[in-house]
Amino acid sequence: MLITKVKTKEELLPVLSGRVLVIPCLGCSQSYFPVEEFNRLKDELKSSGANLASEVTFDYMCREDFTERRLEIYREQLEAADTVLIFSCGVGIQTFAGLIPGKKIVSGSDTFYVPGFPGFTPSEHDCEQCGECRMGLTFGICPVTACSKGLLNGQCGGAKDGKCEVDKNMACGWQRIFERMNALKGSDKALKEGVQIRDYKKSSL
Amino acid sequence: MIKDGKKGMLKEDFTKYKLKPAKELKELVSGKENILVLSCNKCFKEFVSIAEPEYQEAAEIVKSAGKTVSGYIPVDYLCNQYLTEKILNKYKNEIENSGAVLVIACGLGIQTVSQLVNKQVLPAADSVWQNGFHGVTLSAEKCGACGECFLTSTGGICPVVDCSKGLVNGPCGGAKNGKCEVGKHRECAWELIYNRLEKQGRTKNFIDETPKLRNYRRNNFKLVDEYVKLIRAKRSEGFYGGLYPVELKELTFDIPIEVFPEQDIVIIPLSQHAGLACEPLVKKGDKVKKGQKIGETAKSPITAPVHSSVSGEVIEIAPKKHAVLSAPVLSVVIKSDRKQELDVSVKPAGTVDSLAKEKIAEIIKDKGIVGMGGAGFPTAVKLKSPKPVDTVLINGCECEPLLNADYRVMLERPAELILGLRLIMKAAGVLKGIIAVEDNKPAAAEKLKALLTGDSSITVETVKTKYPQGAERMLIKRVLKRDVPLGGLPLDVGVIVNNVGTAYAVWDAVYNGMPLIRRVLTVSGETVPKKGNFEVLVGTQLKEIVKFCGISLRSDEVLKTGGPMMGVIQQDLEAPVIKGTSGIVVVKKHDIVESGPDCIKCGRCVEVCPMELKPTFYVLLAKQGKYAEMENHGVLNCIECGCCDNICAAKSSIVEIIKQAKKTIREKKK
Repeated sequence: MLITKVKTKEELLPVLSGRVLVIPCLGCSQSYFPVEEFNRLKDELKSSGANLASEVTFDYMCREDFTERRLEIYREQLEAADTVLIFSCGVGIQTFAGLIPGKKIVSGSDTFYVPGFPGFTPSEHDCEQCGECRMGLTFGICPVTACSKGLLNGQCGGAKDGKCEVDKNMACGWQRIFERMNALKGSDKALKEGVQIRDYKKSSL
Repeated sequence: MIKDGKKGMLKEDFTKYKLKPAKELKELVSGKENILVLSCNKCFKEFVSIAEPEYQEAAEIVKSAGKTVSGYIPVDYLCNQYLTEKILNKYKNEIENSGAVLVIACGLGIQTVSQLVNKQVLPAADSVWQNGFHGVTLSAEKCGACGECFLTSTGGICPVVDCSKGLVNGPCGGAKNGKCEVGKHRECAWELIYNRLEKQGRTKNFIDETPKLRNYRRNNFKLVDEYVKLIRAKRSEGFYGGLYPVELKELTFDIPIEVFPEQDIVIIPLSQHAGLACEPLVKKGDKVKKGQKIGETAKSPITAPVHSSVSGEVIEIAPKKHAVLSAPVLSVVIKSDRKQELDVSVKPAGTVDSLAKEKIAEIIKDKGIVGMGGAGFPTAVKLKSPKPVDTVLINGCECEPLLNADYRVMLERPAELILGLRLIMKAAGVLKGIIAVEDNKPAAAEKLKALLTGDSSITVETVKTKYPQGAERMLIKRVLKRDVPLGGLPLDVGVIVNNVGTAYAVWDAVYNGMPLIRRVLTVSGETVPKKGNFEVLVGTQLKEIVKFCGISLRSDEVLKTGGPMMGVIQQDLEAPVIKGTSGIVVVKKHDIVESGPDCIKCGRCVEVCPMELKPTFYVLLAKQGKYAEMENHGVLNCIECGCCDNICAAKSSIVEIIKQAKKTIREKKK
């Protein structure tokens, strides 16, 4: 699940050399794939002299076993290509590149973060998989993701009218927690008792 | 399928979340009474069992803390807010009476529940960090979603996440023997990058590149928030689930209906409809006229007679290949005499005003009119609803990609279509008619609207283009905001749904006396030389159309009757066009099909299933032969629209599995 935005012609033209094989990965296209922008970019590249020799469509490029099989299915196209231009999220591109390390890979798109990754759809909720869920103290609103600073011990004091000082489009996570606490007639006693320190080791490999 | 965690898609002992330690859990529930437990069955895992073990464990810990568990609700994909809300609505009292809600899920599930219940929610588990989430599967690859992909210049190894310091211009110099100074177990990403670039002879290019700066602002809250809202809105447009397949309607969108030439031989199957097959009324050697009834049965009310589509001689009555049914079907083979002599029964019966309600219904039955969208349900049966009906809905969505047959009928024969609708309304004793058209066919909607100005009994509704908008349930929900109960029919909510082709056929039957012996279908596909919308006689063999349109299948293509999503793959082309054949399409085969599919429980099928079912369960349960359990999970409600198949990240042929299961379940019931 991802958001990808296609790169610009200016970014790509200098790195496309020789015969180019284009591979869009459409596995997550029901969530988001910028079809129009993708087609427009291809036209622009072609008219600027890039040799987009062929195109094959993948899905779920991140699934190594499928991608491995597709390398065989589309061997002809791959062998004929000097550069492979991939439109996928970073996981897909790395999977592909890892399987065929001798090939020059160009990433045609940038991947943006989407909340809801650990689940199955883009969502207004987010979970960073910090490995030490604190929402029992914070009334079901996650301070790690809902606060732009990931503060665990209360608000920073920088919010104005309920909006975060880092990004005024974002609601202050701690204000949300406070409001929800009041709505539930909950108590912040437990929250005040001890200082919370995040153990970053829990979420690193 | 399980590979080692280092490289590969699934980690052997991967868990989505892990239960908090007993001590922590006990602290969490202290001061709370009557604890209601909600648990999520994890996603992204090898799917071997529906039940998750965490609940038992958590319940015991709660009990050992001297607390009572007041209830337990297992929910699959707890983060799916739409479905979770529906489930929780059933447990309103239990939630209301509980002291706290303990949720065993990842952080998303916990937040979703928090938003849905007015109770304090206690997280019983900690989420486990995994790589590869941006994709559909767990993998060794990470993506930081930085919004400015650097993989081009680094040979496909990510410096942002693979370098512990996220350096984008080269190594820090602290690595020893290829290992990172931050953690000895980590490889130095820059050494990996250098080695790969060296393999590709690109190290010089890299060194020559100007230093890069990361732009942390690219990934800002507003941008992401807007995308998420857009995606969420699109996903729930009109109805839950569904897909936006590539439509390719433009291939035949502007091609007018052309009459397909009559062939020497027609094969008329005696079963072209839902219900009992007909018995032949003719025998070998008989001369027949065009429009003459050649098969019917009085043994069941759910059936429809069949008629000859040519004048000529019956040369054989034998089981023949069928376009939809897998076993051969008794069919009447007629050699045309090319005279097109009409049967005496083929004559105008009157008009919508001159004919009585019962007479129209009788004509519809007698002329063999059936639903022409594919299912072939006899139209006359729908008219005799035992329940009160207030609306006739004409389905002009044609949500299948490639097909334009209904669109062309709406565009070229709108007056006939409207008269057909009026006839159906009169026959059913209904005063309100609606023609629903997807918003990708504005010309058709305009044309119909223009003919209906000043008439309030029939309205034209434009609906958003989304597959399967044309499925009855989705259409009724979208247009009339009524929910057809699971296992129920449109009649249960007072609606009769008919296809555009059917309404036209009703007009043809009444105003011309012509039985359903011809239909408009689309022949399309990117590689088809002569694409088009053809009015074809029922009984015309597929091979004749294939020849006429110059189709020669490439090795990576298949030919389907119907649309690309729900159509039936045709191996040989002996089968004839029947009343429900809406198209003949050439589509690309899937390049990968799994024979023994391994579900990774990604949940995509659950998200797209418009019937709000859990297709992922059926794959597992079918494998285990648990048909009764499949039925409990609602497999018989599946409309076989193919959304799950289309999106499956494990490449399972889910619809095929479901079709087989339904067959087995129905056979067991007999």
